Amino acid sequence: MQVTIDGVQVDVEPGTTVLQAARAAGAAVPTLCFDERMAPFGACRVCLVGVAGPDGRADVVASCTTPCRADMVVDTCDPRARRVARVVVELVLSELPVTPAPHTELAAVARDLGVHEPRWSGEVHQPDHDTRHPYLAFQHELCISCGRCVRACDEVQGAFALTAVGRGFGANVVAGIDAGFRDSACVSCGACADTCPTDAITELSLLEIAGATEDDPRSRR
Amino acid sequence: MSSNLVQLARTHRQSHAPTAVELLSAAVRERGVLTDEDIRATAAATGLPEATVHGVATFYDDLLAPRGRRHVRVCTGTACFAATGGAHAEQIAAGLGLRAGECSDGGSLSLAETVCLGFCHSAPAIRDRDLVDAGPGAVERVLAGTARQAGEPAVRSLLAEPALTGAGDWSGLRRTLAGMTADELLAQVDAADLRGRGGAWFPAARKWSFARAQQDTCRYVVANGDEGDPGSYIDKHLMERSPALVLEGMALAGYCVGASEGVILVRSEYPQSRPVLEAAIAAARAEGLLGDDILGSGFAFDVHVVDGAGSYVVGEETALLACLHGLRGTVSARPPFPAERGLYGHPTLVHNIETLANVPLIAARGADAYRELSPQSPNAGSKLVCFNERFAQPGVVEVPFGLTVRELCEEVAGGLVGGRAIKAVQIGGPLGGILPASLLDTPFDSAPLAEQGCMVGHGSILAFDDRTDMRRLASHLLAFGAHESCGTCFPCRIGLQRAHEEFASREAVDRARLEALLETLEVASLCAHGSGMPAPIRSLLTHFPGELGLR
Repeated sequence: MQVTIDGVQVDVEPGTTVLQAARAAGAAVPTLCFDERMAPFGACRVCLVGVAGPDGRADVVASCTTPCRADMVVDTCDPRARRVARVVVELVLSELPVTPAPHTELAAVARDLGVHEPRWSGEVHQPDHDTRHPYLAFQHELCISCGRCVRACDEVQGAFALTAVGRGFGANVVAGIDAGFRDSACVSCGACADTCPTDAITELSLLEIAGATEDDPRSRR
Repeated sequence: MSSNLVQLARTHRQSHAPTAVELLSAAVRERGVLTDEDIRATAAATGLPEATVHGVATFYDDLLAPRGRRHVRVCTGTACFAATGGAHAEQIAAGLGLRAGECSDGGSLSLAETVCLGFCHSAPAIRDRDLVDAGPGAVERVLAGTARQAGEPAVRSLLAEPALTGAGDWSGLRRTLAGMTADELLAQVDAADLRGRGGAWFPAARKWSFARAQQDTCRYVVANGDEGDPGSYIDKHLMERSPALVLEGMALAGYCVGASEGVILVRSEYPQSRPVLEAAIAAARAEGLLGDDILGSGFAFDVHVVDGAGSYVVGEETALLACLHGLRGTVSARPPFPAERGLYGHPTLVHNIETLANVPLIAARGADAYRELSPQSPNAGSKLVCFNERFAQPGVVEVPFGLTVRELCEEVAGGLVGGRAIKAVQIGGPLGGILPASLLDTPFDSAPLAEQGCMVGHGSILAFDDRTDMRRLASHLLAFGAHESCGTCFPCRIGLQRAHEEFASREAVDRARLEALLETLEVASLCAHGSGMPAPIRSLLTHFPGELGLR
């Protein structure tokens, strides 16, 4: 079937998501919770796009979880979708106690969307470091609950060592029965660290291990 | 929802065995607090991974608060807020010498907050062990250790022939099984224009058609008894006083969509609902109205009950299914819709309790009779509404659509106690807009209410009297919204926290910043919780801007 992405007609297979179609058409749609290795999750809402509705007004939808319909007309630059996506990223920055490291996916998305200092200065996640595992470090305050690590552990590795915990603003991720990676079903595959968009979970290189302090596993960076 | 975890839940499922959520709830009830051993035992019993079960244990309110031998839960719902401004919760905490979430040394006494106990007709409500005391003197009685069970609400119908306030006589199912095909029943439900009474107003027949169109013939009917809306006690009333009507509606839905099993999720805040439903199920089985061969027709349908554990968002259909799987009650993106892939991955019809209770009349008397229940309205059928304790005559009332909100408030519910003036009413739950006194002549119908930023919703009509501080009301509603956010989508998870902070602080609310939050919640949230929470805040901004401390 055919869909129109930013004025360009593209052919897609049934079951294709709007995000897949948009990227195939060369449109740059930012995402935070999406990882093509896992089923779409629809949590971050940064991939919002406009879809022309029957009344002419564009509906704003999450492109990652919306299937293409025949003759759909998609505007990845819809002003409302972009404006709201920027606020979402601004909210994400507002929950972190520190600015995300420049090399992270979160920092890149914020740069792309032109989001800088958040307007909100309320509660932030408190520093909580788990350094019990020899190669995997978890800085819980950097977790934005995108669920990518939990889904990687479930869908890619099948270890089910990670879980979302809490709810609302207090949501986070832990390994095992909050016992850290070492005392969980973790098989040290590193899929969680590989997909993490904020460096909340990182794999330590030998250099870092040699220089890291107990409290700050990333002090060498 | 992780399809792998759903698969695990399905593989290890034994018929009617307790879910992981129920096993954890039982452990908390028995021992007061969950241990790692409880998590491991639950994981072993359910086949779920240990980390997954730990995630469940950190999600539900019932599993988080430690319990002493005497566990006191104070209701912080909106009807209780309207009654005391929150003073009752402070008095209980001070009197017991505990903060919410604390357990005394030695474990004799514990205190938690809960939303809501469904005794909105007699606020404030406090649950002392399994006894719910409510109304004037409840705080003093609980503190004196002399709590007594509060009375049930008055129930009446304005209809000549009540459709929803009777006990139910199974005549709709008898008539259907005696000679109506599933197609004919669907045509009646379609012609009746039955809409989802949980608040979404979705056409029931469309859901039924969708479920019937699936290739998978293992199908379920799920009744959503997670009536979490603070201020609502309509489903509570139906489950506890008209359970047969609900069961008959489920059986009819099952007949139509080809399901042989129904499940009712009952929120744990309603401790009396499950035993009444189970007694009604047993009675129906004994009469051949549920079971393997209903009334000799060859149609098989049975129902069992599953407990919730304290989460508002579990009332959303994908979160409800997650809870029934024993998982964290978080929302999943749709599609797939439950009618395609629901309970244990099979096509599932999820309906609110009141929606199901509407089906027997349609089956018994046909679509035309159903539509005639509201002759002065484009909406079909009747509606149960419930009034909070501020009204002179609170209770559950079956009404036709089309009366004005003023008629409902002043004539049906008798105005406010002591002749006080209504400042505003919130209709349909926490996601419903707030109608100021100046707009009470708005008809109680979906379209005119929508024009005022309001909705019929689930049908609660909650009055705030002239003493209500509207900034505190905004803060109260947003505290609820933030606490109940499941934490999945970013706008709701962070946005409701920030919106609450705006109103809870002593500083002026930054209007531009608030508008950005409200738009983001409305446009980008994954479910109706996040997208609906701005509605009452917008009402307050429109009608009471001078009271909100804006800049």
